[in-house]
Amino acid sequence: MNAHRIGLVAKKELAGLSAEKTIVFAVLLQVFIAMFSSFLLVGLTTMYDPEALEGYSTATYGIGYAGADSPLIDEFERRDDLILHRMDLDRALSALREREVAAVVYVPDTPPDAEEPVKITLYLVRNDLQSSIINVKVKEVLQDYEKELREVRADRMTSFPVGLNFPESGNDENFFEFVYGLLIPLLVLLPAIISAALIIDLITEEYQRRTLETLMSTPVTFTEMIWGKIAACAVLVPVQAGAWLFLLGLNGIAVNNAVAILLHASTVGFFLILLAALVALHYRERTSAQFIFSTALVVVLLVVMAVPRNPLNLMVRLAVDTAGPVHWLVLALAAGGTVLLGWIATVYARRIGEGAPEIR
Amino acid sequence: MSFASSIRTIATWEISQSMTTMGRHVLPLAAGLLVLLVLATAFAAQSGVHMQDGIYRIGIDDPDVARIVAQDNRFTAYLDAGPALRENRFAYDLIVLDGEIYAADTEKGRAALTALERDYEAYVSYVAAKEPDLFAAYPLWIDLEYVKSELDFQTTQSGQRVGTPPDSRVPPAPSGPVEAATLPPSAMPVSEDDLREQLTGTESDNPLARYTGIFSEGGGEDRLQTPAELSPPLPLDSIVLIFVFIFPLYFTSQFFMMSVMNERVGRAGEALLSTPIRPSAIIIGKGLPYFTVMLLIAAAITLFVGAPLAILIPLIPVVLFFLASALIIGMAARSFKELSFISIFFSTLATSYLFFPTVFANTHVISIISPLTLVILELQGEGFTAMEYVYSTALFFATSAILFYVGTVNFREERLFSENSLVSRFTDFIADMIGRDHPYVSLFLLAVFTIPFVFMAQMMTLVLFFNIPMPISLILLIVFAAFIEEFAKSLGIYAIARERPGFLTAKNLLAGAVAIGFGFLVGEKLLLFATLAQITESIFGSILFLSLQVLWMPLLLHIAGVLITGTFLLLWGRRAYVPGLVAASVVHSLYNLYFITGALG
Repeated sequence: MNAHRIGLVAKKELAGLSAEKTIVFAVLLQVFIAMFSSFLLVGLTTMYDPEALEGYSTATYGIGYAGADSPLIDEFERRDDLILHRMDLDRALSALREREVAAVVYVPDTPPDAEEPVKITLYLVRNDLQSSIINVKVKEVLQDYEKELREVRADRMTSFPVGLNFPESGNDENFFEFVYGLLIPLLVLLPAIISAALIIDLITEEYQRRTLETLMSTPVTFTEMIWGKIAACAVLVPVQAGAWLFLLGLNGIAVNNAVAILLHASTVGFFLILLAALVALHYRERTSAQFIFSTALVVVLLVVMAVPRNPLNLMVRLAVDTAGPVHWLVLALAAGGTVLLGWIATVYARRIGEGAPEIR
Repeated sequence: MSFASSIRTIATWEISQSMTTMGRHVLPLAAGLLVLLVLATAFAAQSGVHMQDGIYRIGIDDPDVARIVAQDNRFTAYLDAGPALRENRFAYDLIVLDGEIYAADTEKGRAALTALERDYEAYVSYVAAKEPDLFAAYPLWIDLEYVKSELDFQTTQSGQRVGTPPDSRVPPAPSGPVEAATLPPSAMPVSEDDLREQLTGTESDNPLARYTGIFSEGGGEDRLQTPAELSPPLPLDSIVLIFVFIFPLYFTSQFFMMSVMNERVGRAGEALLSTPIRPSAIIIGKGLPYFTVMLLIAAAITLFVGAPLAILIPLIPVVLFFLASALIIGMAARSFKELSFISIFFSTLATSYLFFPTVFANTHVISIISPLTLVILELQGEGFTAMEYVYSTALFFATSAILFYVGTVNFREERLFSENSLVSRFTDFIADMIGRDHPYVSLFLLAVFTIPFVFMAQMMTLVLFFNIPMPISLILLIVFAAFIEEFAKSLGIYAIARERPGFLTAKNLLAGAVAIGFGFLVGEKLLLFATLAQITESIFGSILFLSLQVLWMPLLLHIAGVLITGTFLLLWGRRAYVPGLVAASVVHSLYNLYFITGALG
């Protein structure tokens, strides 16, 4: 094999990609998803973290209260963002339907120290943004009331859990786990999968368009051509994954150990590309190759994710800086597997290349 | 040969064709992979998903506390003496000293704290549920009831509050008639054992349980909840629906895309085209097997998860839309890699259009623009009305029909086998729709046909900008809405300028602009009154569909927009297309802005 000729083939493939402007679609895709990742962050946090909703935090809400007197009234009185109105249930529900109040609670006349539980009915408006916020606010009140009731009934308890005191955190939903535990590994994996799909296209196209003869008439051998294509696809993986990490950085999401993450991503990408190349060489037809490869990909990913300290988990750990040196070992193992697969691909391609004149 | 029988011929041929290519070599391996897939799923379910293992470090001084987090893989726990922990506190996200918890003052520290809080709650309910007197441990149960309110979209838009006079201490009185309500009984409708089971069952399961739970009807609504169990609708659950329903459908549509592409590779479809069979019969015949397979797959999934079969109805337009786009992409791509990239790009767009509105499925009416929301409603046991069905699927039906039409018109030798660039192929497609005999009628119809796509794109921007603070979201919406409309209107003119430059004279441009302007207005009217009344009545809607209030003003605006782009094309050629488009968008935005500020001020 000749490295120079491999480089030439790779360069030709990359030039072909940019000539067709398909790469523009890839870039558009990245920007588009990046837009949504900020949508997810901004949008969902404000949706589901009531404190973050500026206009709402200062607002006060009317709550309709129906039924018997209870200590719950005092709990509500303690809040300055909820105003309790004593009303009949039917009037309260009509008011809720007209949004004169934001929620209605109905309290039965069960005494606090009764044998049976206190069953409160909470009425909210369906399909409403405001209901989500009220839900959170009323939940806090009810949790306080539950604590109070538990104290009243404490002598009936037999066992006690280990006590833990949590600091006041504001109980805010944050998207740390979503971003670092899901978004980042998926975004970094995406280029690897795209490149693997790309190598199938590049190889099967030569077969289906019958352009192999022309290629074979040049001094480039079949194996060199395959490796040129593999190289072109493999180069795209760290470039795209790096772009992701950069875009995330622009979105204010700092990622630790970016270089190590890219090394992992490139290895995973190379492995998948080689796998896809083997499938493509075997089937020489896009539909079948893509079908088999994507099914195989799901199997491989499922198995990998079920193993502790898999590359994806390590990328997550690297991103939050809790990986430890063990990730180098896993990287070395993955690289070893990739080299093995590369050797298989070379042998397979050489065998096909020797029988070249009669390619289907 | 009759139309129906030629469809049948093509369909049979398509099935046998795909069976031979896929046939002997692929199917055995696919079956093997399927077995592997089942095994892998079982392995993953047994071993758990190790994606977020060890992201938090927690230092603990008490082995009993360590046992609480032992089952949560996200935590790496370090047992150490109190002073040592205190000294190394910066190495940990959380430390627990004598039952007091200290969290690092970072986003990660707070996330770890939330995670620990959840684990602790689960542990406490695990202990409490074993209590012989359950109602001492859980003295309070909530019965959550939802009330339907008619006001919906208009009241919650942009954070404005309607009703609820904020500071009055006077009990609000309903203005309408008071309906009698039945007092809820104070007795518990559920047995103590059931409640106990519910408490231990829901908390200790793995995180995937929440996602599989989405299919069991009702969720938290039908049963009694403890205060801790109350939660606003979770945002990301519906993504599971995407994986379960949409991906298999999209995946199958890829085979159709490939089948269309294969006709073009090496001119393989030449024989087919030379037969007297009409292109429409060819397309329907080729698509029919895939349509059937996709419906069967969806039905199988529905039965498998035990959901009502009614959710297939909102999936039909999605299936049609996927097939229609697969047809167009398969006809337009020049190479396999282009096919891949366009289809990946398209699938992302389509998936986000389907997915993002559903995030608000239970919180906002805007969610209805996605048929998937209907699926969620159906799963929740609420069902949907015929009106809601029309509302959320009309755009999908309309766009699919138009895409199929465009595909049929262009299903000819010179289009299928040309090697032109993507842009020129698309303009070819459009130019083909503009008849030579009746160019103005065609332009008029073209403008009408682009309306569903314009609306789809504008809906997308509405979803995108929905969460940005008010003035910015309005301005962004105005600019993007204007740009999308101007772009859509200019398509016909651009196609003409490219294909028949001689046609583009000042007089013809004027006539064409009038035709397009009229077509646009008619299309908007038709679609809006049919479906989108709810959104148009909101303030966002008044921006997107401003043009409906006075008739002659928007007509002039539409005509002027086309004229601006057209004049740029006429004077400076095709290179001036983009500047022309920008100029037209600016004018359009200013017009909208003027009316909005007028309407608001």
